[in-house]
Amino acid sequence: MTLLELHGVAKRYREGQLERVVLREVSLRIDAGELAMVWGVRGAGRSTLLRVAAGIEAPDEGVVRFEGRELSGHGGDVLGAGIGYCQKLLRGGSQLALEVVTMPLLAAGVSPACARTRACEALERAGAPGCATLRAASLDTAETVRVALARVLAHDPRLVVIDDPIQGVDLFERDGILALLRSLTGEGVAVLASTTDATGLAGADRTLTLSEGELRGPPQQQLAPVLALRRPAGWRASA
Amino acid sequence: MRAERDPQSAPMQSQVNWALLGLVIERPSYAYELAQRFDRTYAGVLTLSSVSHAYTALAALRERELIEELPGTRQGRQPKPHYRATAKGLDGYGQWLVAQLDEDLRRQRLFILSLATFTRDPQTALELLARYEQACLEEARGTPIAPRTAQHTGVCAGGAPELAARLAAEESRLAVGAKLAWVEYARRELMALPGARVAAR
Repeated sequence: MTLLELHGVAKRYREGQLERVVLREVSLRIDAGELAMVWGVRGAGRSTLLRVAAGIEAPDEGVVRFEGRELSGHGGDVLGAGIGYCQKLLRGGSQLALEVVTMPLLAAGVSPACARTRACEALERAGAPGCATLRAASLDTAETVRVALARVLAHDPRLVVIDDPIQGVDLFERDGILALLRSLTGEGVAVLASTTDATGLAGADRTLTLSEGELRGPPQQQLAPVLALRRPAGWRASA
Repeated sequence: MRAERDPQSAPMQSQVNWALLGLVIERPSYAYELAQRFDRTYAGVLTLSSVSHAYTALAALRERELIEELPGTRQGRQPKPHYRATAKGLDGYGQWLVAQLDEDLRRQRLFILSLATFTRDPQTALELLARYEQACLEEARGTPIAPRTAQHTGVCAGGAPELAARLAAEESRLAVGAKLAWVEYARRELMALPGARVAAR
């Protein structure tokens, strides 16, 4: 089932008098339970692609749909409900990792007891139960990524979006992070990730490169054209 | 009159012979067991046509004094002569291993020179480059990940075959990474050629 669709997406930034094209005609479909990895050098547009895919930034052209709904105008809702955009930078370095994971749940109105339970479960799921009582500032890079993922997983997303999850991660810890992302797909969660380190492409369901804003992938992985379906006038969802 | 060429002085070309020498270095043994180990170790990379191929290869290694028979192992009704590597064999094997790098570089250079013949036709070069990139992405996708667990703390964690698999996978991943970075560089160079940008879009 298609979870996320990007169709003909373009993104431009103004830099003084100049306009920089960061994404050109990007089309991509991510199915439920699929792990898609995008490789690109610095400045290729990876982070922009992920922010647009997560609905954090609106495209200048094209459409982004999550579960059939266009993201522009629904970004806030969808981010909370279905898309987990993983920010690796953990604010509140003096906080315990458990608190880092719990706080967004409390902010979303979850009761303290329930939030704590869900945070503990998420840390377990992210392979970081031992980090719960450690201060965020004391975590190493791999642990930070796991806690950041736990913070997202606590909201039971259907799509996890993460930028460069293995950047700065110890060589022997790297595949543990990739295996964690892989394990999420086994639970039906789709993962869209980027990497500057091509070793991170190993084991992905779909591997793509982003070069000067253009997304490329092997032909057999290329996707059928996305057809925009319009609901007929007077259409109503059945009960 | 031309001098007779000594076949033993010529470099040993057979990959099978060198691979078998590696197994003898790993653990001295007899032909049948070496053939079995060969099949397990080099499955999908090198093949022995039959067990007798192992006997032929061992004979060639012995003639070149890269291995020698272990004394006292050619006894009994069914003698199983065991072989071990000589100092010459150890040294030669090391040199052959390092020479593989030259072979890799030669193959890569051949590819690049072949691609460079299309610089007058940037569109074709870019298309070939795109296909090469796609092959790299497929290779990357097919490479397994190997998360290390608590049991991977030993010197030879998981045993030699598992360690060899991890080392091979890592080498492959790093090599693909270097190739993708090179593709990015080459694409920019080709795009800078007159007419290429129009052709590529």
